[in-house]
Amino acid sequence: MRNFLKSLLLFKEPNKAEKFILKENKQDTETKTGAKDDSHGESKNSETFLNKILGSKQDDKKKEETPEESKQESKIDKKLSKNLAYMKKVYSIPVNGDIILREFDIMVKDRAIPAFILFYDGMTDREIINNYILTPLMLLSNLDIKDDPKSIIHYIKNHLLPQNQLKEARKYVDVIDEINFGGCGIFIDGLDRAFAADVKGWEHRGVERPNSEQVLRGPQEGFTEVIRINTALVRKILKDENLIVEDIIVGKRSKTPCSMLYIKDITNKSLVEEMRRRLKNIKVDYMIDSGELEQLLEESSFSLIPQLMATERPDIVAAHIADGKIGVVVHGSPFVLLAPVTLADLLQSPEDAYVRLPYAHLLRFIRFLGILLSLLLPGLFIAITNFHQEMIPTDLVFAIEASREQVPFPSLIELLLMEVMFELIREAGIRIPGPIGPTLGIIGALILGQAAVEASIVSPILIIIVAVTGIGSFAVPNFALGLSFRVLRFGYIFLGAMAGFLGITAGLFIQGILFVNSKSFGVPITVPTGPKTSASASSNKLIRLPIWKQERRADYLNTINENKQPKVSRKWINYNQNEGKDENEK
Amino acid sequence: MKNKITFGSFEAICITITLITTQLFLNLPRSMMEAAWTAGWLLTVYITVLALILFLVIERLYRPFEGKDLLDLGEYIAGNTGRIIVGLIFIFFFLYINPVILREFCENIKIIALPESPLSFVMLFFITCMIIAAYAGLESIVRFSAIIVPLIAGGYIIIITGALRYCDVSRITPWLGNGPYEIFIKGMPRISVFVGIILVYFLYPFIRKKSLFKTVGYRSIILSGIFFFTGVLVFALVYQYPTGTENFLPIYQLSRLVDYGRFFQRVESMFVIIWVASALLHLSINLFLIPYVFKKTFKLKYYKPLILPFAIIVYALAFFPENLTSTIELEKHFRNFAWLVTFLLPIILLSIAGFVKPVEKKGAGKSE
Amino acid sequence: MNRKILFFILPVFLTFFLTACFDSKEVDEKAYVVALGFDKGENNFLKMTLQIAIPSKIASGEGGGEPGAGTAITTVETPTLYAGLNMINTYISKEIDLSHCKVVVFSKELAQEGIHKYIHAMVRGREFRGSMYVAVALESAEEYIQNVTPTLEANPAKYFEMNFNSYQYTGFTGDTKLTNFYLLEECSCRQAYATLVGVNKYEKSHEFDNNNSTYKERGRDRPLEGDFYAGQIPKVYDIKAEVMGIAAFDGGKMVGQFDGQDALYHSMLYGTYQSSHISVPDPKQPENFILLDVKQSRKPSHHVEMVNNAPVNSAEIKLEADILSIQSGINYESKENIPILEKTAEDFLEKGILKFLEKTRPMHADLCGFGRDLKMKYLLWEDWGKVQWLKKYAQSKFNVKVELKIRRPGLMVKTAPAKSSEGDVMD
Repeated sequence: MRNFLKSLLLFKEPNKAEKFILKENKQDTETKTGAKDDSHGESKNSETFLNKILGSKQDDKKKEETPEESKQESKIDKKLSKNLAYMKKVYSIPVNGDIILREFDIMVKDRAIPAFILFYDGMTDREIINNYILTPLMLLSNLDIKDDPKSIIHYIKNHLLPQNQLKEARKYVDVIDEINFGGCGIFIDGLDRAFAADVKGWEHRGVERPNSEQVLRGPQEGFTEVIRINTALVRKILKDENLIVEDIIVGKRSKTPCSMLYIKDITNKSLVEEMRRRLKNIKVDYMIDSGELEQLLEESSFSLIPQLMATERPDIVAAHIADGKIGVVVHGSPFVLLAPVTLADLLQSPEDAYVRLPYAHLLRFIRFLGILLSLLLPGLFIAITNFHQEMIPTDLVFAIEASREQVPFPSLIELLLMEVMFELIREAGIRIPGPIGPTLGIIGALILGQAAVEASIVSPILIIIVAVTGIGSFAVPNFALGLSFRVLRFGYIFLGAMAGFLGITAGLFIQGILFVNSKSFGVPITVPTGPKTSASASSNKLIRLPIWKQERRADYLNTINENKQPKVSRKWINYNQNEGKDENEK
Repeated sequence: MKNKITFGSFEAICITITLITTQLFLNLPRSMMEAAWTAGWLLTVYITVLALILFLVIERLYRPFEGKDLLDLGEYIAGNTGRIIVGLIFIFFFLYINPVILREFCENIKIIALPESPLSFVMLFFITCMIIAAYAGLESIVRFSAIIVPLIAGGYIIIITGALRYCDVSRITPWLGNGPYEIFIKGMPRISVFVGIILVYFLYPFIRKKSLFKTVGYRSIILSGIFFFTGVLVFALVYQYPTGTENFLPIYQLSRLVDYGRFFQRVESMFVIIWVASALLHLSINLFLIPYVFKKTFKLKYYKPLILPFAIIVYALAFFPENLTSTIELEKHFRNFAWLVTFLLPIILLSIAGFVKPVEKKGAGKSE
Repeated sequence: MNRKILFFILPVFLTFFLTACFDSKEVDEKAYVVALGFDKGENNFLKMTLQIAIPSKIASGEGGGEPGAGTAITTVETPTLYAGLNMINTYISKEIDLSHCKVVVFSKELAQEGIHKYIHAMVRGREFRGSMYVAVALESAEEYIQNVTPTLEANPAKYFEMNFNSYQYTGFTGDTKLTNFYLLEECSCRQAYATLVGVNKYEKSHEFDNNNSTYKERGRDRPLEGDFYAGQIPKVYDIKAEVMGIAAFDGGKMVGQFDGQDALYHSMLYGTYQSSHISVPDPKQPENFILLDVKQSRKPSHHVEMVNNAPVNSAEIKLEADILSIQSGINYESKENIPILEKTAEDFLEKGILKFLEKTRPMHADLCGFGRDLKMKYLLWEDWGKVQWLKKYAQSKFNVKVELKIRRPGLMVKTAPAKSSEGDVMD
């Protein structure tokens, strides 16, 4: 206890953790990688910190040697029986039900070579294994082949396995990793290596409409759970060889494949470096969804604002990547992460870009209004009715008073009651089995509200407030931000009940300071308003510029190539004067 | 600090304007009317021009000392002693004005919105926000100011336009009020309304491009001058001379006039948001500067642990004045002498610094 | 780390929760006053009448019609305003809230003694709204408030707002909002005025008489629409409360009263006039009227000159009008006749305005703001103060010039006679 109090009252030196700041590109990236550390900083981690500087790979080896040394290090033996025994041990055959081990012989030049294949049932495509692995090896190996085989490996690889993705492995661990991810391991007697064929064929969801981010205008495809489909969906939009899909595996047990997507000659090098560093230095047992990865990547866990953006829409990902951001695709998650993100990004809907300018502004202002209402309306209602009655129009104040006359609760309790009820309906609505879902909505909205009013438990005006707040909260395009506002709303209710507008303003001030203070990958969240960046990046502001005016990429990203399009992007406008010549293009 | 925080001119202007113009929401229009009767607006123009001229002088003198704030200058002249003297002056300066402004704003809020709440309760809101903002640091405060200062200005414009309907030119006549002598000679110390410009000297090391120092200074003074001018003018146009001096909160009185039809009446409480926001910003930057200057004066390593103690001191000091009238009196005293610190001190320091060679001592290099 | 944060946050939250909600008052815990009346007390300084809204009745629409259905009225004798509130709170269950008070009525008796102190109390308090109307009841404020029985709306607050705003289309009262009154009261070049209110006495329409009308002073043989004070309009049935005319103040003391016609002239001179119907006697057939819809086309201009240390005040009023009706059927719409009509209307108005100004002179009541013009000529407050305008006003001479332009004749461009057995009938 004494130590606790001491730590509370006395000043401790802050950790020398330097925050990542997104800098201009000119600086060389090498000096940066060394000096960075995020969120660790405790003395316990200091040695890992040192090791990180030296290079993570060596470190990994040393640390994980103890229990799984054999699996990590040992090489494939020439004797098949040894390999068989080893694999049986690793995969706990026959305890393990879904691993299939098939032994057979390959006939090469009248010589029967024993072999076995190993794969997971259900994760692989049976047809492929039957037709393109077993058939050639077992039956076609007898065919007379013109080429004189130099070695058996060469022969099998070049002639007997018609597979487009075939890996040759010398270590067990490589084969095991492949098998674990839907591959087929092929072991052959007398070879000190094994083959791993890509025969992935598990059941998965097809490409469907995005569930949480629907638009009327624009593409209707959404990501699925399969990493390669997801990367392909992005690559389908950005047909650029400079789009890099960098694979990194996260999770000791789950070994979740993740891909970092960025465009080589646009994205800031240090940003890529930072993202790579963070991804590589995540040490967890398992990671299932990108939601978990988001929490592992973000700088501040207690921040009120999401620091990475999750989206289901390939078009959003493509647009942001083309602007110089980084996407992270996680296998098994239909949500792709984007970083760095700003508040303006979170408040945007893809429709803003697809719809013509005047309509887009209408949509945008309505949305902002909805967001503000969802955040502040209940708090303002409490503040006004409890503290500033003079500003309510006289007719309305009489109406409110009349409707409240029979209500037993103070308006704070009344409001909290309804807000909690609303949250309850919303939460339950998600979990309720499909067909009953709408019924619950009707029960909640109509019967509960109506009955509550008739029983004089709440006043009708309050129902309107709660309903408008609820509708407003659905206008938030980003789910995470919507959640954050849902939580904050309660804070404003309490502040409003405590001190009226003073409380609300204090709350707004604190929220603003915290928002301004938070950063996403070195970019202040409130850019381009908070720190005012140059006007050219104004495509992300409250007012959208016409699409031909969005010439430059966002300033805060410090991209390699700042220009998005030439000054005159609609060349047809002065086609006659220039005789079709492009003065802006090289 | 390898990655030194910097910011552009817009942010710097916003925060400086906040520091200067917050008193507009307190009692500036009234005190202008008290000083120059019907010609308060003229006095405002006059002191704005005066402040511009003085700033021009300071800026000229500052040129050889690019990127240094006044503490660095003190050190440049007389080593550690110089720095400590200058630093103590400023610490005293901020510690004097911050509680006074805090008290005045809390009393205001108490009068206009929360008449029954105890002062300590109202002040608790203010001090909590101030502490959080000071912990978040200069960068956050300045950035936040860039977001909310335009909003505050928008609200201010609504008040001014709403009150325009009640304006009558005859109310600012006789044109010269109580006479040119009162305005142009006796009104001179009123230049203290621009004390907030002091922030620019401390922001100097943070401004992105050093040439912006000039722009920030001039624009802040001119924009603040415009705010003062419109506020004082419209107030005088609505409330004629003897009546206007009765009002405790001039701009609040103007906001009470805003009404459009039967529905949109008495929205002055809405403007509490503007009041409080600008006050919080003002007080936060002020509170931040105390530990910051303290740290720099005594070459400490960190300023954050000092925030809480200083906040408690400010909170306690704010309770010292017995009543609102004596608080206003304290502010008046401050306004009489503050120009000495804001304008005279830099001029003296800079002119001395122009002549002497820097005192080189061991370890007296640049801080940080 | 988490424990540490908790350790800081918890006390902060606790302090807030322990101290919160000092000012918090539910809407239904307050009684909203819509009208406030002050009479001279029988045994004490004041008799204060409060009209308190009963929202449950107003919201269900039961408020209208019956006297006092949507409101509760209480009268208390008290030394001061706030003392009276305290007394009333002892027997009214909810706390009295004055923030929705729409009108404050002083009795004439009290107004003549001076109401500056009450006005100041209202300006100082944050509850009173600046858009509240200041009115003077010719007899008793208590009686006036008791007789406010709105029929068209359930909400008495709305009744007051609409009724006191009627000056915008009748011109018979004026813009007497509290802010306005307060500013004029303390002005060194103008005087304040308040709306006159009164209660009608007629029960049956055959009781009508013209004894209280001011038409005789104006030298007419029967009253025109504006020749009444509030409460004297010949009318019966539902609504008893009336607003008509203005009361002039000098230094917070009521010094005189003007009827509706004078209020109209006042607003024309002052510049708040918007539009109204004015009946002008026909120049050729005086028993017939020409009805004009008059608007102010420009703000009036004032001009003051000091001749022999006495002010000569001249005013120029620019109006425009549409013809509503020509009873005589004479073709005044024609190009030649329009000037005749304009001249008649101008003369009619000029005569009335001059008479009104003459009336203000002995009251020291520069209601129309001639002093503004003089004040603007001075450079120093000292010199202006020496003029003592409000005192000097009693010696002023007046010149008034009205310029009226007829713009539109309505839907008709000329009047055709009615055909009868005895030939054409024009009127």
